[in-house]
Amino acid sequence: MTIAAAETRRRGASTFISASSLIGPATFLVALGVIGPLLMLFRYSFDKYDPQLFLVEALSPANYVTFFSDPYYLKVFFTTIWVAFLCTVICLVAGFPLAYILARTQTRFKNLLIIGVVIPLFVGNAVRAAGWMTLLGSRGFLSISLMDLGITSEPTEIMFTETAVILGIIAVNLPYMVLTLQSVLEGIDRNLEEAAFNLGAGPMTMFRRVLWPLTLPGIAAGVILTFILAMNAYATPVLLGGPKFMMMAPLVYSQFQLNNWPFAAAVAFILMTTTLILTVLAGLATRQRFRS
Amino acid sequence: MTNKLFNQKIGRRALLRGVAGAAGAVAIGMPYVARAESKGRIVVGTWGGDYARLLNKNIEKPFLIPQGWDVVQAQAGDPERRAKMLAERRLPRGSSDVQGLNGPTMYQMYHLGVTQKIDYDKIPNASHLLPTMKFEYGVGHIYSGMVPVFDPKLSTKPASYKEVFDPKFGDKLGIIDIQYQYTIVAASLAAGGSLTNLEPGKKLLLEIRKAGARIYPTNEAFAQGLKTQEIDIGIMWKARTVQWQNAGIEVESTAPSEGALLYISGFVIPKNAPDVDGAYAYLNAMLEPAAQQEFAKDMGYNPTADNAEIPDELNKRIGFTKAEIANLKNLDFGYMSDHDVELKNWWDKEFKG
Repeated sequence: MTIAAAETRRRGASTFISASSLIGPATFLVALGVIGPLLMLFRYSFDKYDPQLFLVEALSPANYVTFFSDPYYLKVFFTTIWVAFLCTVICLVAGFPLAYILARTQTRFKNLLIIGVVIPLFVGNAVRAAGWMTLLGSRGFLSISLMDLGITSEPTEIMFTETAVILGIIAVNLPYMVLTLQSVLEGIDRNLEEAAFNLGAGPMTMFRRVLWPLTLPGIAAGVILTFILAMNAYATPVLLGGPKFMMMAPLVYSQFQLNNWPFAAAVAFILMTTTLILTVLAGLATRQRFRS
Repeated sequence: MTNKLFNQKIGRRALLRGVAGAAGAVAIGMPYVARAESKGRIVVGTWGGDYARLLNKNIEKPFLIPQGWDVVQAQAGDPERRAKMLAERRLPRGSSDVQGLNGPTMYQMYHLGVTQKIDYDKIPNASHLLPTMKFEYGVGHIYSGMVPVFDPKLSTKPASYKEVFDPKFGDKLGIIDIQYQYTIVAASLAAGGSLTNLEPGKKLLLEIRKAGARIYPTNEAFAQGLKTQEIDIGIMWKARTVQWQNAGIEVESTAPSEGALLYISGFVIPKNAPDVDGAYAYLNAMLEPAAQQEFAKDMGYNPTADNAEIPDELNKRIGFTKAEIANLKNLDFGYMSDHDVELKNWWDKEFKG
């Protein structure tokens, strides 16, 4: 072995040791604080619940079977996926133009515009939902305004509906989508768009052939982020969806309230796994599209 | 400048001041030294908000802190605190000394082996505790009854649960989601069932739901419904009615002829409570007549001690007559505990769905 090779090997080993010492503590904390409880929760999901004994140790798939064989739980499951999908699509469609304007604007108020997008995140979910309640209630601002303008004769019931939940989730998730897209769009040279126009492309062709493919990594990140947030939404469905509307995260908590930890754990795992699978699929699809 | 500082002479008084300051700093930094005279620390698991504030104002500040107890409140919702107790149940030392729970959950936690049997000999004030508030698993702190509540403009006052759960009210009848247990039992009493025969109640509830009854997620949302006249009638704790009246909502209540369902809020001692003496001191303090009177005044709940004197005018608003007290009905905690999951599933899938 030459001296240079030995030196390279020594450096490699020392880099590995210093990298390990840097990521070690964080990895340990994650393993302790996240993976450990998750494994416990996974184990609970195979236990049985007995009102008089609480947790009965078992190794039964009964909780998962109950979930997938009961129309009520399946409805909750598909409602959650539908709401998350719809919110993500609306966030993408509404967020892209806004992100584009934010990225391309040269105004000195650009920072103020970005703060304007972020401001909704300064308010907690519950407080934000309370605001929506005063707006969407049957005696709320919207309903009274519609009646005063003569557009409707009866109070409009938006609160405690799926529409209210979708509106509420979009309000929470839109800033995440906009900021993610804006950061990617900032990195795309404006000259590429100009070149497309110079070569005869119309705005739509330029968007489809140049801007969209180049933004795909940002779109993937934004879509994944907003989809995960929407799938796991808790406060908004509870406060705006009301008692008759149910999504997965509130379902987990309602079972937990009943002390039925095994079923709550199973529902939590179904939610987590579904989110993970759909997220990975979305990521793979985007990557494939980006490559092609 | 530096020379000036170093050249200053340290006088006797300055030295004493310095020593006193240093001792103070050490005392702050060493709580065990500073609190050498403290009787101990009582950790109280409780709901947050007004209840926690009033526990501090009416029990902890006037009765426990002057005796040398340090009282720490661990505030969280009932399910979270129950979960913590269950998770800690195998530990030799838990993290709380007393826990505030409602009647059914006091029963449930005891029968799951989480809390200990109450030794009433250690609670001198328990000699005045109403017999109906004395449980082997917990001590009742305050109580109220589930009563018909309605807009005073209604032509006839509902005198029973039966007159409340009437399909004729359509969407003017409000139901509270989180009160599903009491609502099912009240409807069962209205429909000729009993505390453990709930099927007639379920049938009646489906009828009123079909007629358009509104379901509100929380007590507060129900109050809002009454305020905006979205609904005219429903059932709720009498104490809450008093609070709503105080908040300017036009609402009245009556005692149901079937017997009002009791709501009891009390305290239990976990088996692994670190300071059991402190826990008993807390239970004794909460039964002090003055503490009970203040809770009645501030919150509208009835005292559980018979030596708490409530002014007649207040008693008229929050209390019940002797006949009504004799007619009060307590949930069958054992039955409710065993069937809770089943009832909630029915509520979510059949009634709300």
